[in-house]
Amino acid sequence: MKKSLAVLVSILITFSGTALSDEKAPIKYGLTLDYTKSYVFATPSVSQAIEDYRNYLNARGGINGHKLEILNSDHGNEPQRGIEAYERKKREGAIVFEHFSTPVSKAVLPKAMKDKNVMLQTLTGRSDAADGEAFPYAFPIAPTYWAMAANIIQYIENNTKDIKKAKIAFTYLDFPFGQEPIPVLQELQKQLGFELKLFPIALPGTDQSGVWSGIRRFKPDYVVAWSFSALHNIALTEMTRNRIPLEKYISVVWASRLDLKSFGYERAKGVKRVEAVATGTEIPIIQEILKAYDAGKGAGPRENVGTIYYMGGIAEMSILTEGAKLALNEFGAPLTGEKLKKGLEMIRDFDANGLMAPVTITSSDHQGGGKTRISEWDGEKWAPVTDWEAAHEELVWKTIKEHSAKFTKENQ
Amino acid sequence: MFYRQAAIRHTSYDQTKKLYPIPFDKWLVVAVLLVALLAPFMMSGLYLNSYLLPWVIWSTAALSLNLLMGYAGQIHLGYAAVMAIGAYSSVHAMRLGVPFEFALILGGATAMIIGVGFGFTALRVKGLYLAISTLAVQYLVDWVLTHVPAIGGGTQATLQTPTPALLGFEITTDIGRYYLAFGWCALVTIFMLNVKRTGLGRALIAVREKDYAASVLGVNSYYYKLIAFAVSSFFGGVTGAILAFTFFGAVTPEQYSIDISIQILAMVVVGGLGSVLGSFFGAGFILLAPLFLNNMVTGMAEAYDFGVSRSILSHIPLILYGGLIMLFLLFEPLGLAKIYDNIRKYFLVWPFGFSRR
Repeated sequence: MKKSLAVLVSILITFSGTALSDEKAPIKYGLTLDYTKSYVFATPSVSQAIEDYRNYLNARGGINGHKLEILNSDHGNEPQRGIEAYERKKREGAIVFEHFSTPVSKAVLPKAMKDKNVMLQTLTGRSDAADGEAFPYAFPIAPTYWAMAANIIQYIENNTKDIKKAKIAFTYLDFPFGQEPIPVLQELQKQLGFELKLFPIALPGTDQSGVWSGIRRFKPDYVVAWSFSALHNIALTEMTRNRIPLEKYISVVWASRLDLKSFGYERAKGVKRVEAVATGTEIPIIQEILKAYDAGKGAGPRENVGTIYYMGGIAEMSILTEGAKLALNEFGAPLTGEKLKKGLEMIRDFDANGLMAPVTITSSDHQGGGKTRISEWDGEKWAPVTDWEAAHEELVWKTIKEHSAKFTKENQ
Repeated sequence: MFYRQAAIRHTSYDQTKKLYPIPFDKWLVVAVLLVALLAPFMMSGLYLNSYLLPWVIWSTAALSLNLLMGYAGQIHLGYAAVMAIGAYSSVHAMRLGVPFEFALILGGATAMIIGVGFGFTALRVKGLYLAISTLAVQYLVDWVLTHVPAIGGGTQATLQTPTPALLGFEITTDIGRYYLAFGWCALVTIFMLNVKRTGLGRALIAVREKDYAASVLGVNSYYYKLIAFAVSSFFGGVTGAILAFTFFGAVTPEQYSIDISIQILAMVVVGGLGSVLGSFFGAGFILLAPLFLNNMVTGMAEAYDFGVSRSILSHIPLILYGGLIMLFLLFEPLGLAKIYDNIRKYFLVWPFGFSRR
């Protein structure tokens, strides 16, 4: 009797289980990253964050009961492999994609737009994709490099007595990533009247000695650096050698705590960076995720948790989850690319409980507001020195529109 | 039994000069051709667009480089740059209103002129020195593409390709794009198969074997080296344009980076220097093996939990891939085409294998 009851119950559970899973189909996220080539300085942390967040989310019932399923693979920064992965995952039912690689994002974007699938492209891909009217299905959901450059200049303006007398050195890796902010900087130079000098670093950027002795002679008040990861070490070493105070160094978003490790945490005091997400482990969601690490269920080394790359992944997932939730509430299941796009565009002032700058996405602004802040390395952590703000928005949007108009024209 | 040679008599020059004297070879080629022609109707969009189409295009690129490396023996480390020149010139030409067919030829011609310009170094230097000077093409082209907005398109650096139109018919479907690429591939293949039987081909091979010995025989090695650079660059330029128009739908500098140069070089070497079939095998292996290995390892990781992180998992296909290249080259240094040739030779006399000894 007892046995048959148990059988009955188990059958019931199985059936209710299948019924439930039929009703609440998982949301599939096509995640193809560069684990093996150019972006390896950040990819492991980003991927770890996304997996941690998925586990956290699914343990709490997913998004309105829909589990999040991640279709994860490597594209090795090769466009043709990214396209293959996109086509494959599209067939497997993915409606939202992230590639975290500029060449791959650029190659996949036209296809995703045609298929009406949402493409997240945080800090990679075309910056003008922030224009939601020209790129309805692309979501950079992070400040563009133009916005970051404008915000940095705003910070310098606020912190110098007379901006007209300020000398700003811009040192950048001499390829599109580094060249991108130049038009915005030059336009601001015209408007504000500071002195700007460009210092290109030849790829791969491992030899910067000539650049920094040039910067020493220029005697800048600030050095704005568009470089990433280990290249900061080289820059900081050269700065020390040329006796340029490290306080003058303001990096683009690609500088994490672990990047400073080999230069020395104590030595790197005073280095600044622009950031779009908060870092560190005090944020509520990270505290929750760290519980999984305490239980030995983290998706990677604990050291990565809380670095800027990791937090970028968490922020992106929070925005995606929020957008999916809004879309499901408004339009109901099953979630499609079109519904998700509209859901993301309903996000207003969402900061995921102190995780990032308040993000507002509209059908024309896929940048999310472009707010950043400056933080300074104090020897142990990145301490914010300004509030979240977006400056010179008119200029930033003019630049975005200029580029996106070109794309629209080309595609006609 | 398979490659029957019964009733094949070499009684006339025409018969001896045949491309495929053995009927089985001929029918095999016809069968492959039929499969390639019918493929768009038999396979799904995924396999057509992301496996077969790139394979056809990259094979064409490998064939074009093979003319230079396999036939004429001149090493080229910047072949992707040659393709980039072709792609950018044809895209710009089309934007200025040149019809697609002429834009392609113009792209090829520009690549040819610039390619020959660098080919002049081949007259002075050889071997590794030539390798380095062709590497310079790659870096110069990369630099121009990222620093001259009028050519490269500025920091966003993407130029969408206009819709190609052949004889007034716009090519907008996947199938149409496949046939365009396939048509170009067929042309290059036919050229490559036949060039060996011409004076040009024999001269190139003479130059490859020893350029001053060729001069002694009355073959002007300077002239033929330049011809090899010119023809190969022309093919490369058009192939680069085809790649942009049919596969990517845009041109960006990354599509023609140094990595691609090395890949095409690897296709030629792994496939077999100087072999037409080898170019197809090499392109298939270098281009498609990472895709298959990656999907295989991902699939296995989903089925059985390996308990390793994603980034370690992603390196397993690379290890396997590198291992496979080494194994193939250890097993048969002359490339994949030679492996096929060995099999063919075995079956040529099968089951009377003892007759070969």
